Amino acid sequence: MSALDELRQLRHGGAQVRKRDNKAAFWFLAPWFAGLLFITVGPVLASFGLGFTKYNLIQPPKFIGFDNFARIFSDERLHNALGVTFTYVLVSVPLQLACALGVALLLDRGLRGLAFYRSAFYLPSLLGSSVAIAVLWTQVFGAEGLLNRVLGFFGIEGKGWISDPDTALSTLIVLNVWTFGSPMIIFLAGLRQIPAVYYEAAAIDGASKWSQFWRITLPLLSPILFFNLVLQIIHAFQSFTQAFVVSGGTGGPSDSTMFYTLYLYQQGFSRFDMGYASALAWFLLLIIAAFTAINFWAAKYWVFYDD
Amino acid sequence: MVTGVRRRTALTVLFSLTASLLAACGSGSDAGGDLTTEKVTLRFSWWGADDRHKRTQQVIEMFQKKHPNITIKGEFKEWNGYWDSLATTMAANDAPDIMQMDELYIASYAERGALLDLNEAKKHLDTANFDQKALATGAIDGKQYGLPVGLGMYSIMVNTDLLAKYNIPVPDDTKWSWDDLKKIGDQVSKAGGGQVFGVQSPGINDAAGLSIRARQQGKAMFDAQGKVVLPPEIATQYWQYILDLSKTGVAAPPSVTIEKASAGLNQSATATNTAAFGLWWNTQLTALTAASGAKLKLLRLPGETQGSARGAYYKPSMFWSVSARSKHPAEAAAFVSFLANDEEAAKILLTERGVPANLKIREAIAGQLKETDKAAKEYLDTVPVSDPPRITPNGASTLDTILKRHTEDVLFGRTTPDAAAASFIKEVQSEVDAAK
Repeated sequence: MSALDELRQLRHGGAQVRKRDNKAAFWFLAPWFAGLLFITVGPVLASFGLGFTKYNLIQPPKFIGFDNFARIFSDERLHNALGVTFTYVLVSVPLQLACALGVALLLDRGLRGLAFYRSAFYLPSLLGSSVAIAVLWTQVFGAEGLLNRVLGFFGIEGKGWISDPDTALSTLIVLNVWTFGSPMIIFLAGLRQIPAVYYEAAAIDGASKWSQFWRITLPLLSPILFFNLVLQIIHAFQSFTQAFVVSGGTGGPSDSTMFYTLYLYQQGFSRFDMGYASALAWFLLLIIAAFTAINFWAAKYWVFYDD
Repeated sequence: MVTGVRRRTALTVLFSLTASLLAACGSGSDAGGDLTTEKVTLRFSWWGADDRHKRTQQVIEMFQKKHPNITIKGEFKEWNGYWDSLATTMAANDAPDIMQMDELYIASYAERGALLDLNEAKKHLDTANFDQKALATGAIDGKQYGLPVGLGMYSIMVNTDLLAKYNIPVPDDTKWSWDDLKKIGDQVSKAGGGQVFGVQSPGINDAAGLSIRARQQGKAMFDAQGKVVLPPEIATQYWQYILDLSKTGVAAPPSVTIEKASAGLNQSATATNTAAFGLWWNTQLTALTAASGAKLKLLRLPGETQGSARGAYYKPSMFWSVSARSKHPAEAAAFVSFLANDEEAAKILLTERGVPANLKIREAIAGQLKETDKAAKEYLDTVPVSDPPRITPNGASTLDTILKRHTEDVLFGRTTPDAAAASFIKEVQSEVDAAK
């Protein structure tokens, strides 16, 4: 029975069967729904309320109106954190996607042992935001780390890359670019969807590989690129673990790895200012929403749907 | 009409009085009552390393043998995780009954009403053998929110193996100045050829170095009310000194300094034998000697005789505190009393949490101490001190991280010592104000 037949039967099949099925489904969904309600929706709504209070975790919250939101505009360290986060997002996401697309194009040429390479390149994505990798990073970019040993080989004197405010953020950007595996897998799937006849026709007409890429691959892949872009931007804005572990929770040196989320966390849990932290969380939501909206608006001009 | 209002007020007062009485009865035993004979479980949390966990667990078992109806559940974490989790459990009204508390945080928790005034549990908690000055460090406005466990003192730790290797004599620490430290550090750096430096730069892990500078000039970081009274010129001098150490090569380059100092005790310049002098708590001598494998010696602080006052003081290494919301405050106090006064327990704990603040216990364990612990105790017994500074006020528990950020800004040339001093004072004051 084909999928279409199945669908038809579902549509026209006995109402009795459907009702019973639904009931069972609700029961199976119940644990998830309870989780959503109590663990996600509840706290999200509570944090919205807390954003209008002064709350130090121990004493009951005090209503203070829009003070927390007003503070967002005068908090210089927050503005620095915004600068750090924007730099991180705007530099690392394009680089990461370029890497992902590049490797996907290489792997798409029907290499032998493709499955192995695909897994190997995907591995960092699984590990990338883990504590273990962040610890490894301090070993690679530390004063006596791997990078400096390699540089020393060529007679170049290194430094503590992570503990120098001029280079600390770059090491985190490299870390994010390195985890290009998940967009790569999506690109690979997208490349498989492009019919080979387009390339054959182009080749017969004498189009170079380069112009095939620009005129066939990229336009047909643009919905996938758009999807990856939106997802990775959101993901990058929410980065926390890397900066937390690499800087020992401080966002240092000199606040140079102070991601927005890390600053938010410090406000709540080190400064006991949960009201401000809640306001910051909602402000981040606005920023991400704005970026996503801009993305969708711009998509009209460059994303091509082949329907 | 008037009587009506009055009667209503009276009724309200009566009602709320009854309610509060009921509430008081409902919350388990009270701190001054007798110990219960029913089965109770207390949660006890601390931060620290493996060695501490083993010793503490042993002492918990000894206590449980004496009080079979009381079960103590130990919870332990490392420093950073400890404070994050304490903040969250407090918020969830699920704080441990007994907790290890630090000077940096005690006011922040006490003044928010999270800690029990141990005086209420006097009946179960014996403090007779404590040095009064030490005891006072855990009190705020006459309320005893923490019982000091051990005492520590800021000191200079010198690697005498390194000095011997470079033929540099150990300096006379009875009247040396900060300039003397810089000079001898310079000799070490020159002899060390880029591998070994003179001084491990202070100003990264805690604010004690700055506080000592202020104390030596008769000033302080905070006044009794918790206002920041640190004169900006002292902070400027402090950062200028650190900057000079870095620029003249007496200390390692900034990125190396920051990395080593932030990576924890075992990766520090002192532990890796890459700096001859370092500022440390005297009680860290044992751990650092073990980590470095070299011979380390405790020296007095520089500048103690040039200024108008002594900077050195007894710092409580940590406190025992009881949660204000504990359902069994009397039993919790009895356990704290056991930790602080039981000689058998002390023989297991030794100086792992600092040289005991309980004087009787300090003598009782003297015979059992390792050589390095003995040296730390002797340092505490002999080096002259003045009164301790006011404990870090409510809201200023981020003092150390604020200081570290400013030191980084200075070392990497992102700000001048002058500007750092002004910004530091302003930021700490605003933190204190925000907590009010």
